[in-house]
Amino acid sequence: MAASTQTAAAVREVEAYKYGFVTDIESDRAPKGLSEDIVRFISAKKNEPAWMLEWRLKAYRTWLTLADDEPAWAKLHYPKIDYQESYYYAAPKQKPKLNSLDEVDPQLLETYKKLGIPLQEQQILSGVAVDAVFDSVSVATTYKKKLQEMGVIFCPISEAVQTHPELVQKYLGSVVPVADNFFATLNSAVFTDGSFVYIPKGLRCPMELSTYFRINEKNTGQFERTLIIADEGSYVSYLEGCTAPQRDENQLHAAVVELIALDDAEIKYSTVQNWYPGDKDGKGGIYNFVTKRGACRGKNSKIMWTQVETGSAITWKYPSCILQGDNSVGEFYSVAITNNHQQADTGTKMIHLGKNTRSKIISKGISAGKSSNTYRGLVRIQGKADGARNYTQCDSLLIGHTCGAHTVPYIENRNPTAQTEHEATTSKISEDQLFYCLQRGMNTEEAVSLIVNGFCKEVLQTLPMEFAVEAQKLVAISLEGSVG
Amino acid sequence: MVATGLLDHPFKEGYAARLGALPGAAHAWIDGLRQTARGILNASGLPGPKNEAWKFTPLGELSKIPFIPAATADDIDVREVPRGVPSIPGAQRVVLVNGVVNTALSDPLDALPGLRIESFKQLLVREPQTLKPFLGGIASSGALPLAALNAAYMADGLVIMTAKNFAGATLHIVSIGAAGAEPLAFHPRNIIALETGARLTVVETHIGLPGQSYLANPVTEISLADNASLRRYVSVAEDADAFHFATTSVALAAHSSFETFHLGLGGAKVRQEVRAALNGAGADCCMNGVYALTAKQHHDLTTVVEHHVPHGTSSQLVKGVVDGQSHGVFQGRIHVARDAQKTDARQLHKALFLSKGPEVDCKPELEIFADDVQCAHGAATGELDREHLFYLMARGLDRDTARALLVAGFLDEAVATISDENVRAVFSDMVNGWLKRRGV
Repeated sequence: MAASTQTAAAVREVEAYKYGFVTDIESDRAPKGLSEDIVRFISAKKNEPAWMLEWRLKAYRTWLTLADDEPAWAKLHYPKIDYQESYYYAAPKQKPKLNSLDEVDPQLLETYKKLGIPLQEQQILSGVAVDAVFDSVSVATTYKKKLQEMGVIFCPISEAVQTHPELVQKYLGSVVPVADNFFATLNSAVFTDGSFVYIPKGLRCPMELSTYFRINEKNTGQFERTLIIADEGSYVSYLEGCTAPQRDENQLHAAVVELIALDDAEIKYSTVQNWYPGDKDGKGGIYNFVTKRGACRGKNSKIMWTQVETGSAITWKYPSCILQGDNSVGEFYSVAITNNHQQADTGTKMIHLGKNTRSKIISKGISAGKSSNTYRGLVRIQGKADGARNYTQCDSLLIGHTCGAHTVPYIENRNPTAQTEHEATTSKISEDQLFYCLQRGMNTEEAVSLIVNGFCKEVLQTLPMEFAVEAQKLVAISLEGSVG
Repeated sequence: MVATGLLDHPFKEGYAARLGALPGAAHAWIDGLRQTARGILNASGLPGPKNEAWKFTPLGELSKIPFIPAATADDIDVREVPRGVPSIPGAQRVVLVNGVVNTALSDPLDALPGLRIESFKQLLVREPQTLKPFLGGIASSGALPLAALNAAYMADGLVIMTAKNFAGATLHIVSIGAAGAEPLAFHPRNIIALETGARLTVVETHIGLPGQSYLANPVTEISLADNASLRRYVSVAEDADAFHFATTSVALAAHSSFETFHLGLGGAKVRQEVRAALNGAGADCCMNGVYALTAKQHHDLTTVVEHHVPHGTSSQLVKGVVDGQSHGVFQGRIHVARDAQKTDARQLHKALFLSKGPEVDCKPELEIFADDVQCAHGAATGELDREHLFYLMARGLDRDTARALLVAGFLDEAVATISDENVRAVFSDMVNGWLKRRGV
């Protein structure tokens, strides 16, 4: 109990949000509110072809019919969002075309430096190609040329609409249909940018592809759209990491990510999400409503989601796999940490359609402060999925007695040859473990960080090297002040 | 959450008018309960697929059946207890036909000193104040649409009350469903109240007679005072066309204990919802069950255990076998309130497929607000493990014998938790009888 007394004391001294700063850049933004004109404005800003505008308008009209269908089933409480109070487009002041990094606005580059991603250094040293999204428009893409030589297409999706319309038309909305859900439909109407990746047949993408998202303009909802296609026999690992500046008003974020893995292809998608969670009184913070879904369309294909969710005031996110191809594999590894007044309702869906499809779900939820942390997941085995297999493990850790940890799995099995297993536990940090660490000279904070990192190890070790290091630090930072 | 499954329902004004004046209507609080319930029912209708709690068991099809109130069907004459009803050694038998106590088929109700058994209807008319502490207070109509339906039309049922430190007895309640020329519905309201330190065993057999469809919609409110101990064993084997939706709500005071077992063997659509609120420290709740389904049967076992105070324990073990085109559902929620430190709550559900065609849906749920607790749930579905079969066959058993042994053993793990050995034997026979009939 000594730990929880210290916890209570330390909760009050939550460290200021490390990445809380606002960059002052004159921005080019659409008028407030959402209407068909705004959709046309966004499309015009992007010089989009007619089919793209049609697609957006169809989504917008569908969205209007969904007004009563804003999801209310999640264990999340937030004031009703007025969608007419947001701005749907904001772009950093545009220069005509950039030939090199030297032409990028130095203020932007400075921002990245604060975020720990100096582009030049990364380009030279890390071998990671970075497609940085600042607010809604991509400003710099590195390593593009090298990847291009191998046939990899890695560019902003707005560019892909111009340069590879046939791919975008074929795959956009094929995993997350326009009318999928309230937030995805909204995204389909107003998405401003995001990444597009195509890996050609048989290629193992030689480097981790990475994008940093950052919400910067006040009152700007961000609506990224990501589309990744791994053609037959290819492999790609994609990293997504986020930090955002501190501010008072809640910001809406509704992204859509679609992954398509064809025969024998594999996509590994890793996320570290560390957006502004609001202050210790629950003021401010990002509202994060994300639809992420991957289709294992081909035989023997594999999609692996790994997420480390430590930020946002509200997280509504269920990265899912549709296992269509025979023998395809879906995996979901998640660490969700909530502190103070954060609320997270996150999990996955594994839809087994093909024969011998396998899925594995490992979810670790850690709640502290006055937060609420829910795992919500669906495993559905359809009648034709002979020999399908699912294993699910959800563990929750409670730190302090003012938070909540919930587990809501749905398991639907229609095939006798399929096997599903689900296990969930909820507990607190054991006094014994804590005592053991303290006795060896660690302070409580170090001890808790060590124990929690151990609790999450199974998930963190699936992250690519660059992220694993960052994620471990993040776990410790997120719990700073909450555990004494 | 708002029930969005708006559906037209057959229990409207015509149904009420046919029923006429309900017992106890002269008392404002009873009439109030009925009016509130009717308001809830008319506002939200019967639950549809968008109602989260009824997602896997939507009741849309009920709106197509023109149910009449059972009390108005005059062509029903049940003269004997159906042959399928087991005999429980040493138990006092009470028989209800369509939710109404049938004294001719029952043992004398006042046979045991310290144990009061009355018809709900009579008590409602004669001394409603006896019911006031329990009625509508343990099973509230608010979030329970079927309990609201029951409250709107409750007319009869059974009330069982014990004296303090009542030393124990076994009651066997046989509930017979029987329809005449028209499909009918009945909504019995039962109350079981155990005083401090009392002990009681209740066995319930719900059975149906073949014929028209009927809907049995019982609500049972159970109150256990300090140190009271109730064992309740329920089996449901309704007619193939019958509907059975039972809601049981239990309020447990300090150091009381509630052991329940639910055996689901049939009916077109059956839902057994059991809710226990651990309101006193040190209460213990054990909810186990077995379901065995075939043809197009639908069976839903929904449990909610709410730990409100420290040092509570709860455990659940539910096993199911599914055959034919049947649909098994298990939903179990464990809620641990902020103050319920040192809670130990466990839950396990396993379902076994006997053929290709059935569906099993489960939703085990943990809702935890206290940190110093041990909570775990598990759920698994699949067919028989081939290695287990191989093990037995390698020892000389033929495939069918090996399979039968494994399936029986699978279910027996749950049946074996029944602490009353007479009841355990009877339930075990029922399960084995079912397996034999299915040729397992």
